[in-house]
Amino acid sequence: MDKIQYVGEALWIGYLCKAFIIGGFVAALFSAVSYTFSSLGNPTQAPTWKRLGNAGFAVHALLIISLLGLMFYAMVEQHYEYSYVFDHVSGDLPMKYILSAFWEGQEGSFLLWMFWHLVIGAVIISINDKFKLEVMAVIMVAEIWLNSMLLGIYLPFGEDLKIGSNPMMLIREITLAPIFNNADYLSLIQGRGLNPLLQNYWMTIHPPFIFAAFALSVVPFGYAVAALRKGEYQDWLRPVLPWALFGTAILGISLIMGSLWAYEALSFGGYWAWDPVENTSLVPWIILVGGIHANLIAKATGRAIRSTLLFYLGGFLMIVYSTLLTRSGILGDTSAHAFTEMGLEWQLTFFLLSFLFLGMALMIWRYKNIPAPAKEESIYSREFWMYVGTLVLFFSALLINASSSLPVLNTIIRYFDPSYIGRVIKDPIAHYNKYQLWISIFIGLFSAITVWLKYKNGEQVKAKWMVPIAIYAATALLLTWLTSLWIQLPEWHYLLMGATAWFTVVANGHFLWHAFLRNARAMGAALAHLGFGIMAVGILASGLNFSYLSNPFVFKGLFGGEGDEEKYIQLIKNKPLLVKDYVVTYEADTLIGKARHYDISFKQLGKDSSQRVFIDSFVTRPNAVYSNDFSKIAAFNPDTRHYAGKDIFTCVVSLPAQVADAEQAKLMEDSLKYAPFTALKGDSIRIGKEVLVVDGLQYPPRHEEFKNHALDVGFEVAYHIIDENGKKEEGQCAIGLEGSLMYKFAGKHENLGWRVRPSEQLLDQWLSPEDQLDYSVLSIKKGQEISWQGYTFSISGFDKNVDTSRYKVEKGDISIMGLVDVVKEEKSWLSKPIFVLRGNAPMSIKDYLIEEGLHIRLSAIDPATGTFELKVAKDKRNNPGFPLEIATNVPRSDYIVLEAKIFPGINLYWIGSILMMTGLLMAWWFKYKENEEWTSAS
Amino acid sequence: MNKTTLLALIMIVAAGVIFMNASKDVSTYSNFREADSTGDRVKIVGVLSKSKPMEYLPEKNPNIFKFYMTDNKGEEKQVVLAKAKPQDFERSEQIVVTGTMKDNQFYADEILMKCPSKYKEEEITLRKGS
Repeated sequence: MDKIQYVGEALWIGYLCKAFIIGGFVAALFSAVSYTFSSLGNPTQAPTWKRLGNAGFAVHALLIISLLGLMFYAMVEQHYEYSYVFDHVSGDLPMKYILSAFWEGQEGSFLLWMFWHLVIGAVIISINDKFKLEVMAVIMVAEIWLNSMLLGIYLPFGEDLKIGSNPMMLIREITLAPIFNNADYLSLIQGRGLNPLLQNYWMTIHPPFIFAAFALSVVPFGYAVAALRKGEYQDWLRPVLPWALFGTAILGISLIMGSLWAYEALSFGGYWAWDPVENTSLVPWIILVGGIHANLIAKATGRAIRSTLLFYLGGFLMIVYSTLLTRSGILGDTSAHAFTEMGLEWQLTFFLLSFLFLGMALMIWRYKNIPAPAKEESIYSREFWMYVGTLVLFFSALLINASSSLPVLNTIIRYFDPSYIGRVIKDPIAHYNKYQLWISIFIGLFSAITVWLKYKNGEQVKAKWMVPIAIYAATALLLTWLTSLWIQLPEWHYLLMGATAWFTVVANGHFLWHAFLRNARAMGAALAHLGFGIMAVGILASGLNFSYLSNPFVFKGLFGGEGDEEKYIQLIKNKPLLVKDYVVTYEADTLIGKARHYDISFKQLGKDSSQRVFIDSFVTRPNAVYSNDFSKIAAFNPDTRHYAGKDIFTCVVSLPAQVADAEQAKLMEDSLKYAPFTALKGDSIRIGKEVLVVDGLQYPPRHEEFKNHALDVGFEVAYHIIDENGKKEEGQCAIGLEGSLMYKFAGKHENLGWRVRPSEQLLDQWLSPEDQLDYSVLSIKKGQEISWQGYTFSISGFDKNVDTSRYKVEKGDISIMGLVDVVKEEKSWLSKPIFVLRGNAPMSIKDYLIEEGLHIRLSAIDPATGTFELKVAKDKRNNPGFPLEIATNVPRSDYIVLEAKIFPGINLYWIGSILMMTGLLMAWWFKYKENEEWTSAS
Repeated sequence: MNKTTLLALIMIVAAGVIFMNASKDVSTYSNFREADSTGDRVKIVGVLSKSKPMEYLPEKNPNIFKFYMTDNKGEEKQVVLAKAKPQDFERSEQIVVTGTMKDNQFYADEILMKCPSKYKEEEITLRKGS
C-alpha cells in the first residue's frame, strides 16, 4: 500500500518540539555535570566549569521556553494532528481557558514545573552566594528528571518500556483508527477540549501556584546538599532561610487555594476532606515548616543542624513522593480526585529514589562531622520548646503520610505476594481528625509559651515569663467558655483544642502588638502563630459544628448512628418547603452556556414562627454542568451565601434521571403509554378523577418550547384540566412541521403525572397539503379592498426587510414582503407574504394564518400598472376535531435534590489560614532584607 | 536521665501508642458474609448488580438509595445507602461501600465508585456537522 499523503498536517511543529525536548534534556545533563565539576573538580578549572554550567542552563532554558511557546502556538491554532492539542483543546473552548488546557495534562504540568525551575535558576545564578553552584547542580538534576518525562523514547526491549511521553506525537502515530486511512482526516476531527469541571478560573490560577511551590522546594534541598558536600554547616543556614520561608508560604497559599476551590466550586461539600491527594501536598508543607523552625534554632544557637538538613531534604522528597502518588494511579479507589495514568510510574519512582539516595548517602557520610553541642538546653529556653514543636510537626507529617500511603504499602506487598488483601482506613476523616487534633493542641500550647522565651539564656527570663503566660492562659479560658456558648464543644478534647488555640491567639496577639511597637522583624512569626490559633477555632466551629438544612419529617432511626442524619431535601419547582426555620423554594432554572443554574430562594422565619415574618431572604444559584456533548450532567457546582458569622452552602446532589441524562430521557419517553382521545372544541375527556376540556386552537402560542422553535407551520391546542377538587390547571400542547420533520410539544402536568400531546392526525384534519389547495387569484392595487369568501383584503404597504425564518435571502435575490390586511367581521390579521425574483424566476413564499387556515401568496407584481397579484386558498377544515394523546403516571421531572449546609465560623478558618501565610511572607521579607544587608556588609 | 533522652523516650512511647491505636482504624476489605457474622463496620468492594432494581424515591426520602451489589465472593445483597443516588451510578465499574450488615441488608453511609474515564474515551470525536 502506498504511504498516505495526509492533508493539512503541520509536521514541522512536531519535529521542532522533539528537537527542543531532546536538546533540552542534553543541555540539562551537560549543565548539571558542569555545575557538579565546578565544585568537585580541580579548583583552578572551577570558573570554566561554572561558565559551562551557566551556558548549559541558558541553552536548556531557551529550548524549554521555545517548546512551551511552540506547544502553545499549536494549541491556539488547533493543530489537532498532535495528541496534546487533540486531548485538551476544542473549537468551542474560550481563549481564556487556553492556559488551563495547557496544564490540564501531565506533560503540560511537568512543563509548568520546569518553567518555574528556570525562573528560580536564573535568580540563583544572579545572586552572590558561595553555595549557589551546588544548588544549581541539584536544580539541573531535577530538570533532567522532569525533562525525561517528556522524551517519549521507546526502549527496544519489553513491551511497554518507554522513557517519558512526548506530548507532541501525531495522534495517527499513537492511535489506530480507520479514520486515518482518509488523507484528509484532519477536516473530520475535532479536539476533546477541556473537561467542563475544569473550566473555571481556579484551574487558571491554582496550578501556577502549586507548581511554583513544588519548584521552590528544591532550593532548600539543594542548600542541604551543598552544605553536606562542602562540609560547611553554618553559613548555609542564613541564605537558605528566605527561600524556605517563601517556598513554604507559596505552598501554603496553594493549599488554601485548593481548599477554597473545593469549597466554592466543587461538590465535595467542604474545604478539607483528608483525601490522599490533599494530604500529600500538606505533608511537605508541614515538613518545610518544621525545617524553618529547626533552621531558626540552628541559626541562633548552633543546635538542630542535623534536623534542619533532614527536614529540608525531606521537604522536596515529599513533593516528589506526592507527584508519584497522584500521577501513578496508585491511590486508586482511596481518592475522589481523578488522575490519568501516563505509564511513567517507574520513571517517577526512580526520580524519587535517586534524590532519596543522594540525600541519604550525603547524610550518612557526613553525619559524624555535623556539629551538635553536647550541653543541654534549658527548659526555659526558646529553642527547647521550638525543637519539641518541630518534633510534633514531624509526628503530624509522619501520621498523615503513613495513613495516606496505605495504598502504596498494599501495592508493594502485593508485588511480592499477589494474594495479599489490601488494608484500608475504615473512616478516613475521623481517623485523621482524631490524631491531628492533638497536633493542634500541642502546637497551640508550644507556640504560646515560647513567645516570651529567649534563645540560649533560659533561666533568667523564667520569673518575667510566668506572669504574662498566666494572664494569657486565664484569658484563653474565658474565651473558650464564650466559644462554648456559641458553638458546641461536646467533648473535653475539643475544649482543650479550643483553649490551646485561644491561648496562642492571645499570647501571639499580645506579642504581635509588642513587636509592632518595638521590633517589626518579629511580627511575621507572631502573625503566623496567631493565624494558626484562629484557624483552629475556625475548624472547631465549621468542621465540628456544621449542620444540614434538612427536612425533619423524613423517618429516622434506620441507621442507628451517624448515618441517621438527614442530609438532603427534595424541592419541587415552585413548591415552598419549610426546613428548620427557612422556607426554601426552587423557583426557576436557566441554561447559561453548558450549565443549568437553579434559583433557590431561602426565607428565614423570625424566632416566633407563628407570625410568619421573614427576617432574612436570599437566593442561591447552584448549577449542574453538562458534558461537552450535552448528553448528560457531568457535575454539580455549589453556590454559597456568605455571612460574617456563617456560610450557607447549597449544592444540587441529584436530578431526575430523565433530566440528567439524555439516554434516560429517551428510555422514559419510550416507556410512556400515550392513549388516543379525540374531542371537539369544548368537549371534555375524563381520565380517572380528572377531566380535560379542550379550549381550541390557540394563537399566539404560549408553550415555552414551541414558542422558541421556529417552524414552518404549527398548531397549538389549548386545554384545561379540572381535578377531583375542582381545581383548574391550564395547559397547551403543539405540533408542527419544519421541512419534512414533524415536531410535537407535550403539555407537562407534573402534579398529575400527565403528558398531553397532539396526535399526527391533527395536522391532517387542520392543514391541507399544498397540492390539494385551490388558490384564487386576486388582483389588487395599493389602497384597494377586495372581498373573497367573507374576507376583505387590502395592501397597506411593503417591507424591504424580509428577514424571517420562512425565507433565507440568497445573493442576487430581489425580494419584497407585502403587508396584507385581512379582515373578517370584527377580526383582523396582518399577513406577510413574500415575493422573490431569483435570477429571472419569480417565487412566492406564502404566509399562513393559522386561525383561519388561510394560505396567502404574493405571486406577481406589475410595476407599470401598480397591480399586485394575491393568491389565496383556504384549508378544507371539515369539522376538524382535536385528536390528542394523553399519558398518565408520568414520573416527575420538575424537582431537584438539594444539599444545604450551614458552616458557622468558617470565616475564622479562612482568615486564620490567610494570616498564617501573611506571617510567613512577612518573615520571608524581613529575612530577605536581613540577608541583603548581611551580604552588602560582608 | 537528661532531658533529651527523656524527650526521645516520650516520643517513642507516644509513637508506639499512636500506632497501636491507629492500627485499629485499619482493616482489610470485607465481604457480606463476614460483615454479617461479625456485625462490624466494614468496607466492602463489589460491583453493581445491574439486572436488579435500583430504588431512589426522593419524594419519599431523598437520603436513601437502595441497590443490589455483588461482593468479591459472588454474594449478592441489597445495600441501603444513606445518600442521594450518585451521578452516573449505572456506569460504575466498581463500588466500595462502608457500613454495617443488619437484617440481611447492608447499611452504608459512604460510597466510592470507580467509573470509566468520562472524557478520555478511546474514540476520535468527529467534527459536528460534517
